[in-house]
Amino acid sequence: MERNVSIECRKPLQWGELDPGRRENTKIGMWAWLWQRISALAIIVFLALHMTLTYKPFVQLLLLLAVAFHATLGLRVILLDFNLVDVKYQRALVWGLAGLGLVVMGIIWFSTY
Amino acid sequence: MSIRTVRIFRYDPEKGGSGHFDAFSLQIENETTTTILDVLLRLQREQDPSLAFRYACRVNMCGSCGMVINGVEGLACKTNVSQLPPGKEITIRPLNHFPVVKDLVVDMEAFFKKFEETLPFFEPKGADAEPAQIRPDSRERLDIGLSTECIACGCCVSSCTMCRHHEGYAGPAALNRAFTLLADSRDALFEPRLERALASCYSCRTEFNCTEVCPKNISGTRAIKYIQRLALKHARSEPKPAPSPREHEAAPPTAARHAPPATAQPAPGACGQAAPEACRHAASAVDRRTFLRQVGVGVIGLGTALVLGGIATGVAVGPTLAKSQKQWAPLGKLSEIPKGEITTLMLRYELKTGPYVQPVAAPVLVSRLGESLVCFKSSCTHLGCIVRWDALSGRFLCACHGGTFDRDGNVVAGPPPRPLDRYAFRLEGDQLFVEVG
Ligand code: SF4
Ligand code: FES
Repeated sequence: MERNVSIECRKPLQWGELDPGRRENTKIGMWAWLWQRISALAIIVFLALHMTLTYKPFVQLLLLLAVAFHATLGLRVILLDFNLVDVKYQRALVWGLAGLGLVVMGIIWFSTY
Repeated sequence: MSIRTVRIFRYDPEKGGSGHFDAFSLQIENETTTTILDVLLRLQREQDPSLAFRYACRVNMCGSCGMVINGVEGLACKTNVSQLPPGKEITIRPLNHFPVVKDLVVDMEAFFKKFEETLPFFEPKGADAEPAQIRPDSRERLDIGLSTECIACGCCVSSCTMCRHHEGYAGPAALNRAFTLLADSRDALFEPRLERALASCYSCRTEFNCTEVCPKNISGTRAIKYIQRLALKHARSEPKPAPSPREHEAAPPTAARHAPPATAQPAPGACGQAAPEACRHAASAVDRRTFLRQVGVGVIGLGTALVLGGIATGVAVGPTLAKSQKQWAPLGKLSEIPKGEITTLMLRYELKTGPYVQPVAAPVLVSRLGESLVCFKSSCTHLGCIVRWDALSGRFLCACHGGTFDRDGNVVAGPPPRPLDRYAFRLEGDQLFVEVG
């Protein structure tokens, strides 16, 4: 293909750049991805706190919460990867797994304390 | 009837800059029968003839009118004004990840280059005279379903944040195309296509953004997962990774006919090689971005390593350094300890050191010889052997190295460097507590 003009393009716009309405319309799959990364960083921080401030229930709760989120969101990817859950249920899957994670966390929490 | 404010992204290649939004206000007769494309056409006709955008079919078939409407990718001709939040202003801007030519028009060259990379054409296996038969209810036909309906609008690529972060990523549309061909049993280019598609699939982070925006309800995510499972199955069924010689001969010439050779580099950044002059911003920005990204990854990696290493060291070394907590442990009842004698009582408590809890049992020598009570530690001040009270000699004796202490705990003979240690104690009524830890 021949180009007869050489014009100055604007460099590509990016997700969220000059992008009103993007944040409000961000869908759950994107949040699931983002929260898994955030919980990964949170685990590093809370694990460090947990080891230095032993037996602080508050830190333990936060660590447990971060691990629960990270694990359930990781399970989500595994279930989708191996087609154990059809991709058309991906939205329900995030809610379902997050709920399950909280329940399991609650059981662990109340059986230790 | 309503009056809506429409803000449209404007970029004039003659003026350059980074673009801005222009606000228009438009009276709309019936929102349910007015599409965003109608809005744009009316604005161009009635208010600003210099407004640039692309369209052709107006009936969701050509894929020319993909743009970002209120923060969501979609076809202008498929989005009705009534689908947007009522009364609020409408913002329209060009797709992400493509150089902007003018206003809402983007340069899709990179998109089609990525398409080519995954060999988006059908190549029949043999020169069969008979047409192949694929039953409509067969597994493969059902798997492919309506995924062949892609109109190459670019919405999915615009919505996927990984298209920005992974330079060589072919993007959902190209991978969806590859999937429809890979799942087709008549396809002769399975191996080279799988290899190329799979390399891109690693960039998917299961965000589902592409699935959410596709105007044809195609799921790029599903296609990507399908290719990955296909590759897994393929790798299991064929232990040898090298393609068989027959395919090896067959693949390159056919591929070369339609697509760049296998050694072709992925298009650098969002700009094709064919347009080195246009979009020269992007090229230099990419280098810096790549560098900054590498530095960022390094810093995060180092930080993580330090934190994790710190934790591991802390766990290994910490308990030996940590002071165990002081506590009062019950020893016995005062009324049960005879006066004028030295009695040995067993002290039992739980020692807490850092995260560890350890049950401890230690004999304590309680002396009621004098006026007041004295609780001696039973471990010898020399090397910690257990000291016992010998009532006959009136001495504390250590069996290990012959350390001998008098009834007040002072050293009489042997190697101990100092008198016997004493516990601090406390009486609560009749109950005797000693301080441990
Ligand atoms: S897969 Fe959907 S969103 Fe992506 S280019 Fe094709 S039609 Fe557009
Ligand atoms: S104009 Fe053809 S898809 Fe919108």
